[in-house]
Amino acid sequence: MKSFMSLLKTNLNVHFGISALKYRYFKEKKRLWEPVLIAFAVIVGGGSLVLLYSLLLLGVFMGGQVLGQPEIVLTFAFMATQLLILVFGIFYIMSAFYFSNDMTILIPLPLKPSEVLGVKFMTILISEYLIALPALLPAFIIYGTGTGANIFYWIKGLILVLTSPILPLVIAAIFVILLMRFVNIRKSKDVMVVIGSLLGLFLGLGVNFLAQKMPEGNEEEFIKNLIESNTGLIESIGNKFPPSIWATLGLSSPGWQGFAYFLLFIGLSLVLFAALLWLGNRFFYQGYISGQDVQRKGKSLSRKALRNANKVSGPVQALFRREWKLFFRTPIYVMNGLAGMIMVPFFMVMPLVTQSEELTEVLNYARDPEYAMITTLICLGIMTFATSINTIASTSLSREGQTFWISKMIPVSPRNQVLAKLLHCNSLSLVGLIIIAIPLYFLLDLSLYRLLIMVIIGLLANILVNNLGLMIDVFRPKLEWNDPQEAIKQNFNAFLAIVLAMLAMFALGIVTFILAMLDLPELLIYGVLTLIIILLSVLSLWGLVAVADRKYRELEI
Amino acid sequence: MIDIKNLSKSYNKGQTKAVDDLTLHVKAGEIFGFLGPNGAGKTTTIKSMVGLLTPDSGSISLAGIDASKNPVEAKENIGYVPDNPDVYDRLTGIEYLNFMADVYKVSIDDRKERMDYLLDMFNLADAVGDLIKSYSHGMKQKIVLTGALLHNPAIWILDEPMVGLDPKSSHLLKEFMRKHCDQGNTVFFSTHVLEVAERLCDRIGIINNGKLIAMGTMDELRHGDQADSLENIFLELTEI
Repeated sequence: MKSFMSLLKTNLNVHFGISALKYRYFKEKKRLWEPVLIAFAVIVGGGSLVLLYSLLLLGVFMGGQVLGQPEIVLTFAFMATQLLILVFGIFYIMSAFYFSNDMTILIPLPLKPSEVLGVKFMTILISEYLIALPALLPAFIIYGTGTGANIFYWIKGLILVLTSPILPLVIAAIFVILLMRFVNIRKSKDVMVVIGSLLGLFLGLGVNFLAQKMPEGNEEEFIKNLIESNTGLIESIGNKFPPSIWATLGLSSPGWQGFAYFLLFIGLSLVLFAALLWLGNRFFYQGYISGQDVQRKGKSLSRKALRNANKVSGPVQALFRREWKLFFRTPIYVMNGLAGMIMVPFFMVMPLVTQSEELTEVLNYARDPEYAMITTLICLGIMTFATSINTIASTSLSREGQTFWISKMIPVSPRNQVLAKLLHCNSLSLVGLIIIAIPLYFLLDLSLYRLLIMVIIGLLANILVNNLGLMIDVFRPKLEWNDPQEAIKQNFNAFLAIVLAMLAMFALGIVTFILAMLDLPELLIYGVLTLIIILLSVLSLWGLVAVADRKYRELEI
Repeated sequence: MIDIKNLSKSYNKGQTKAVDDLTLHVKAGEIFGFLGPNGAGKTTTIKSMVGLLTPDSGSISLAGIDASKNPVEAKENIGYVPDNPDVYDRLTGIEYLNFMADVYKVSIDDRKERMDYLLDMFNLADAVGDLIKSYSHGMKQKIVLTGALLHNPAIWILDEPMVGLDPKSSHLLKEFMRKHCDQGNTVFFSTHVLEVAERLCDRIGIINNGKLIAMGTMDELRHGDQADSLENIFLELTEI
């Protein structure tokens, strides 16, 4: 137990960089203003998200009260949180269990595989509270205060909130361990990342599909059924993930019945956790070791092939190619960077499959030539939003990690280096814009001219947002990481950049709204919008180059 | 070729002096060995020379170019190999080499000639088609060396270059270093292998606690006592 606690303490320290932070702020006394800025961003960005989410939950709670089922808010929150943790959990577990550099240090230690696994699991669990607490606490508080719940509710609730991430994480961990042990894809661990990611993506899409499919035409009957059966709505939502019903019933049912559900939820979590440790002792190290056989083809390139491989290009072009190759050969980067862009068209097509009437009506409006400008602007907004809240630019320098010494060494000026990075980010943004534009074009019968306007203004807005994202990353890159995932998922710059992108989009949205309200000619609106974005892009590029010139020199590795 | 004047670099807001007022000059045609115990300031000095660290004070001139005023021009004249070969794992060897050749603007003919020569020397030709991820530590070291020398820089700055190399590669590298300097160029390298330094270097500098405590040819360091080995001299000088 002592060694377990000691390992847990060390692992938490490394994972959250506690010693590194202490060293930076108390010993080196560097960048002391940074925690203040981060706290501000968390409060403003995270706070407003939680506020919006709480308002949504309040709506769900009040709607539930009308139907006589206020506890729906709990089911909703528990299910959303647990599904989210299940999907992200697959990534986190795979990365921490199988792709982390510290495994080479941990395996030779005199510890049981279950101890190492337990420590890694606990570490992920603790980071998951960052999702679970803001997602669950508002629902828990809204229901508790709204129904005037007694003290037992609050005690049980707190325990459930704290234990709720265990179940989905354990399921994710068992799935990953068995997959790594029995599916023999030794040559490329990357394949596993792709499988895990796709699974998560399809799970998310599946839930969305089912959620859309639920009312299916005869809504009246559906609602009637829901009201008639007391907990019908809850069950129909919770059926997707039964433990969220148990958690709800554990909290909302009176007396012993509630307590039984509460115990069922906690009990299942504990039993599955024990099963995970048992499986860990048997399969964890085996799976890890079998994935470690790095195979070299050893196929010699003939002199001729070598010569063909030699093509001279300029430094910026060479750097651009490096960015492109390193990005696309690291699945975790591709999945994170492009997921938003790829998912949007899916979500757009999904309602068509389910064929709801309201949607057909909305589409009819959108196709009406009278509303063509509004449709174009709204589509532009969607496209720009979906493509600009990616993490490609805002983790661009961080992704270099310990290889950043090469960028510092090569005789290429910082401005040319960031230029190559921008070319890479913007080319991906353009790909994303086109991916989203194509279904919109067919769905809404847009003219080619409007499509072009959308892609051009969308690209300009992306250039602006990418400038800002890259500026943040050049300013404070996260160069120390053990696993590529940390560079992108545990990178605060990504969060900061998304907040900034959302603010920029919001501001541009307001400008567009005002322009539209002024009843200006359509072309003039596009023109003014384009000019504003170009002006801001030039300014931000100027800022980025200034930051790069300074930071590339100052950053030490 | 290399001119370092009053170089100082400290960490923790000046509390730890890693390099303290270091001045040294390395001439053209010279192999300069840089020795010192662990934590003496060797890597800090080297990283400051190549621009990975920003010195607190002092100046560094490489091939007559001020490294802080004209960093890009200075870098064109050096080939640097770090002590730990962290390199792009997800590029193949040949992609990495071409990338380095591109950013150093090496012409197609020159890169073909040097790549052939270096890949043969390090016995890497069979591996350059593979991802660097699959290389051993020594192979990574060799690919970094190859990439650093492709543009035929006048100054080589190598931080413990022999670590991880097999005996044959290590021997060939030493010969290559000699040949390079015989053509009027300069090699500055750090090492813990005193026998190598003794046999290979034209001059040696010993650093301890951030200060250069001795510098000169082997004869100068021996102070006339021909029987004295570099090991004895080193141990005597670095004893606290």
